[in-house]
Amino acid sequence: MSVDTTTESAPAPRKGRNILLGLTLFGLLAALWLALGLSTHAFWTPGNISNLLRQGAMTAILAVGQTFVIITAGIDLSVGAIVGFTSVIVAWLLQAGVPLWASIILTLLMGVAIGAFHGFGIVRMGLPPFIITLATLTSLRGIGLLITNGSTISINHEGFTNFSRMDFLGVPSLFWMVILVAIPAFVFLHLSRFGRYLFAVGSNSEAARLSGVNVNRTIYLAYILSATCAAFVGLLLASRIGIGNATQAEGWELQAIASSVIGGTSLFGAVGSVHGPLLGAFILATINNGANLLNVNSFWQRIITGLLIIVIVYFDQLRRRGSR
Amino acid sequence: MSSLEELSHRHDDQAKLAESDTVPRGAPILELRGLQKKYGLVEALKPATVTFLAGEIHAIVGENGAGKSTLIKLLTGVIRRTAGEVFWCGKPVQLATPNEAISRGINAVHQEVVLCAHLSVAANMFLGDEMNRYGLMRKGAMEKAAQAVLDDLGFQLPAAAPLGSLTIGQQQLVATAKAAMRGIRFLIFDEPTAYLTRQESAQLFRLIRRLRDQGVTIVYISHRMEEVFELADRVSVLRDGTHVGTRLIGETNEAELIALMINRSIEQIYHKEKVVIGKPIVETKGLSGPGFEDVSLTVRSGEIVGLYGLIGAGRSEFALGLYGRQPVKSGEILWEGQKVEISNERKAMDLGIALAPESRRDQGLCLNLSIGLNINLPVFKRLSSGLVIRKGDEADNAERQIRDLRIKTPSRSVLASAMSGGNQQKIVIGKWLSHGAKLFIFDEPTVGVDVGTKAEIYRLFGELLKRGAGIILISSYLPEVYELSDRLHVFRGGRLVASHDYRAGTHEDVLTQAIGI
Repeated sequence: MSVDTTTESAPAPRKGRNILLGLTLFGLLAALWLALGLSTHAFWTPGNISNLLRQGAMTAILAVGQTFVIITAGIDLSVGAIVGFTSVIVAWLLQAGVPLWASIILTLLMGVAIGAFHGFGIVRMGLPPFIITLATLTSLRGIGLLITNGSTISINHEGFTNFSRMDFLGVPSLFWMVILVAIPAFVFLHLSRFGRYLFAVGSNSEAARLSGVNVNRTIYLAYILSATCAAFVGLLLASRIGIGNATQAEGWELQAIASSVIGGTSLFGAVGSVHGPLLGAFILATINNGANLLNVNSFWQRIITGLLIIVIVYFDQLRRRGSR
Repeated sequence: MSSLEELSHRHDDQAKLAESDTVPRGAPILELRGLQKKYGLVEALKPATVTFLAGEIHAIVGENGAGKSTLIKLLTGVIRRTAGEVFWCGKPVQLATPNEAISRGINAVHQEVVLCAHLSVAANMFLGDEMNRYGLMRKGAMEKAAQAVLDDLGFQLPAAAPLGSLTIGQQQLVATAKAAMRGIRFLIFDEPTAYLTRQESAQLFRLIRRLRDQGVTIVYISHRMEEVFELADRVSVLRDGTHVGTRLIGETNEAELIALMINRSIEQIYHKEKVVIGKPIVETKGLSGPGFEDVSLTVRSGEIVGLYGLIGAGRSEFALGLYGRQPVKSGEILWEGQKVEISNERKAMDLGIALAPESRRDQGLCLNLSIGLNINLPVFKRLSSGLVIRKGDEADNAERQIRDLRIKTPSRSVLASAMSGGNQQKIVIGKWLSHGAKLFIFDEPTVGVDVGTKAEIYRLFGELLKRGAGIILISSYLPEVYELSDRLHVFRGGRLVASHDYRAGTHEDVLTQAIGI
């Protein structure tokens, strides 16, 4: 229903909704922190907050990459496997005596290659994103296990393993890495034309194509970014645990998808932001952290996380319907 | 008894629910008293008082955004009224849910077909109401019954075929047959002929008259005046959410209705600018591709080249081929005298070709994104410095198109899906105005668009021609291509079968060539 040009109230612009959702999530996060601070003394300690930021950091980075893919109406199930796989790669390279800088670049390039392979499968072979990324999920774990022969490769590079324990200005280095990813991600998604193309492809790829958008390149780009974010997280994980192990990060893809969805990303595509998944990731991390401090059975944590996803996404749906 | 009546009697028990609610033919069946709908502060429908009589065909006309869709949604229980009363057979009713409307026998056939493309025609017709025996579906029996209904209606459609294999027009007929089977008493058609060919429309009209003769009340919403005069008994006019009058069809004329609808007189809808025709912009020589064969035509600057034909005659396919969306198999394209290969859409755009495609929903718009993003989509490169978009220019370009094209929206950040058909079409056109092309291909630009917006679109054609552009106008609506085209080509079965100069040949000639009798 169109309305008169003179009336200003009609359908709620999406921008307003995004900001509103962001504020609500921020409020939820603040409320959680406040409630946990009141119920347990252990929460507001520098050690615990640092720990929380470290826990949330890796999911947050994965969730940002995942969001790019989901905005194109796709899905990347392989990110957890990529994290495990690239932790093996970097450990292997370091063990073989490759210099640190080269190991890092090669590992990130491995992420680029995996993402490009996903793009190839979707664009050239016409496979659904769910299938191609499910296939790499299992295959990458297999390749990683073959390389390590089923065991782990320990990392003896002091500088590399110390990095994850470092602080800068009192904030853990891992959290700085989130900012390092989030700022360019924000510029890319919200300020650049490629961000607009991601939304257009997710909304209606045929309309985008007829408008001169290179749809194939846009899809390649989304999956490459997601896989590269995952490879980056693989580096951080390897640094944190000091080993390369292909079975690490089991189920992280679901954490990333959950963070993204809690952050307001629509699995139908064309709706999403950078700040949403970041908040989503730290909400999940806070729940896990709080549950640990309160001695809640870890099985309950899983149940609570599931319920939370339902509640948050349900309220988001309600708001969306209300604004129509 | 015909198979249609037989099947609709399956629902007699359901209809008994409202058995006392019978009214004689010609008596009021549905009365709206002061019916009103507000969205926030916006009054989509101002208090309207309209009476629908049992067994009449009641047309509703109005521009886009006049409140027609709101009225349909209120009658079918999709949205709830803000104020006013509704009387069904003399008794006050709520009409609060779609189920309530359906159980009273109120049904709607929508402009866009909402059926399952992967199921068979028969399965779609019986969807939600399958024939069962011992809890198992009787697929064969349903196919037979559906085929009997289709044959009975003279539709010549295969009941066993997947719905998706039919044209949009044929799917529309299936949707209508489905509604007709449901023991309906009040049936709303929302621009049913928008995608139909002439023969399909004729079949549909026969069905509508037949339902009327059975006592069904028909509400018929259309932008096409000649259909209203051909079909309706009475006509109500909406303007800006206000019900401005109801007339007996015999006591009114097109001029009066248009004056009521837009509150200003249109001298001539088909306004054609006198523009000097210049040099050829594009020439195709024996162009062949998927769905079209051996097409040779020329478009000059200042010229409208019309492509007329039935749906599926190869016009849209030719357009997609010329635009690089579909691969061209053989033949050549000369662009301003130079031979060119157009292997993808971006090459076409770079040359200066713009395409406003056939389906706004499937090809034209990113519906769940903002108007501004849609308008800017082809030109983001120009609006960016390096990687980053210049926000100011992005806003300016969108605002300019919204202003120039008079797109009725409070803001450029409103979603395209919230716009009416005519405004959506303006968004599609706006995309290409800012791109600045030399050759504009408009594929069915006025489908589902009201008279006022049509006139605006035609005036826009004139503006483009004056700037030296050429236009390919694809339309299934003969008066439109006939009145506007400097040269009119007729397509049939993927081939260009006849050509006419401006207004040469009669409507009948052109139609005969298109059908190929």
